[in-house]
Amino acid sequence: MGSKIALLAIGAIVLIVIIVGLSASGTYNSLVRLDQAAQAQWAQVENAYQRRADLIPNLVETVKGAANFEKDTLTAVTEARAKVGQVTTGAMENIANDPAAFQRFQQAQDSLSSALSRLMVVVERYPELKANQNFRDLQAQLEGTENRITVERMRFNEAAQAFNTKRESFPTVLIASFFGERFKPKPYFKAQPGAEKAPQVKF
Amino acid sequence: MRGDQAPIPPSPTRWVTDTAGFMSAEAAHALDAQLEAYERATGHQLLVYIGKTTGGVPIEDWAVRAFEAWKVGRKGMDDGLVLFIMADDRKLRIEVGYGLEGQVPDAIASRIINEVIVPKIQAGESDGAVTSGVDAVVRALGGQGLSNLPTTTPPERAPEERPFTIWHLIILGIIGIFFLILLVTHPSLAIALLINIFASGRRGDWRGGGNWGGGRSSGGFGGGFGGGFGGGFSGGGGRSGGGGASGSW
Repeated sequence: MGSKIALLAIGAIVLIVIIVGLSASGTYNSLVRLDQAAQAQWAQVENAYQRRADLIPNLVETVKGAANFEKDTLTAVTEARAKVGQVTTGAMENIANDPAAFQRFQQAQDSLSSALSRLMVVVERYPELKANQNFRDLQAQLEGTENRITVERMRFNEAAQAFNTKRESFPTVLIASFFGERFKPKPYFKAQPGAEKAPQVKF
Repeated sequence: MRGDQAPIPPSPTRWVTDTAGFMSAEAAHALDAQLEAYERATGHQLLVYIGKTTGGVPIEDWAVRAFEAWKVGRKGMDDGLVLFIMADDRKLRIEVGYGLEGQVPDAIASRIINEVIVPKIQAGESDGAVTSGVDAVVRALGGQGLSNLPTTTPPERAPEERPFTIWHLIILGIIGIFFLILLVTHPSLAIALLINIFASGRRGDWRGGGNWGGGRSSGGFGGGFGGGFGGGFSGGGGRSGGGGASGSW
């Protein structure tokens, strides 16, 4: 009689352990999936920014060609571009999971954005540039790239939000905190102060 | 994130949609037939969507969301392209799927807009503007233009093989047996467990859509492909990332 009860108790415990383990691993797996989705989207964000950085040398060269183009504006762009290079090569590994690095990244990119939009305003005063086909192509590429950045940033925010929501909800939050660093909440891109979206390059 | 979202109309059912009466019905119909034939020949989904207004939203935002909602292009290949024209806003945009960005880079899209389409619109030739704009896109994609559509059948994408080994079978079997035992001894627990597993899996999938979700409901490769012919346009699960160019007149 007694051994029967003990057996039943053991069976129940084993069952509970298995059930808890199964649902925990399900939760863990969905966290991993959302984490991977956010990481993949982060790679898209970096691609878009890299694309812009790659455009700049060519752009600067072309603009320089214009008769006595304002030096200051160009220097600002080149310097902002250099700063972006430092930030991205510095802590490329896990920017999406490191709020401080993330913020440095966003700041550097945003200051490059505003240097570029200043440049594009100044260009207005140089009709010879605007008549130059090579410059017009670069301008189209820059506009396209700024738009890609907006899109990929928005999608990163969505992926990060999906991850964070899952991470903070019960009982996932218990499992997430059990793994500590592995599932840190993800930071978001914030709109630049004074602008709802990436600066519109207007001509 | 973008706050006020202007509603995106449901996915068009034809390749050319004109809700603003911008084109003549004959020209729209002819172009539609050509784009249908183009999709059959190359697999690329090229759409023309003419509306009245985006409702104050930048056309870039509107276009990328519409493209995403309509899933233009084939899943995994992302070879769709949409020419958006907003007649009352006097704005237009070519939105290029990820997979066509190499053939229609921003500079080319911008030239097509500013050198082909806009001058014709300004000259009052709406039909010619749209048709020659699409023709220029087709040429950029390596075709001979709309009048010389190739007649070859599209390269059918082989459905992706999922390796299903004996190990999967054994593991599935063990899980199945375990579950059956549980079902007999503790039916309510078993069902609760089942619901839990499904719920967490589903939810993850759904929100994880950030990256791959586009084709979730399209039934896999070429989802809009088989059903597309004869019946009208349906998206295949393609995506765009803001590539292309915009213009105004």
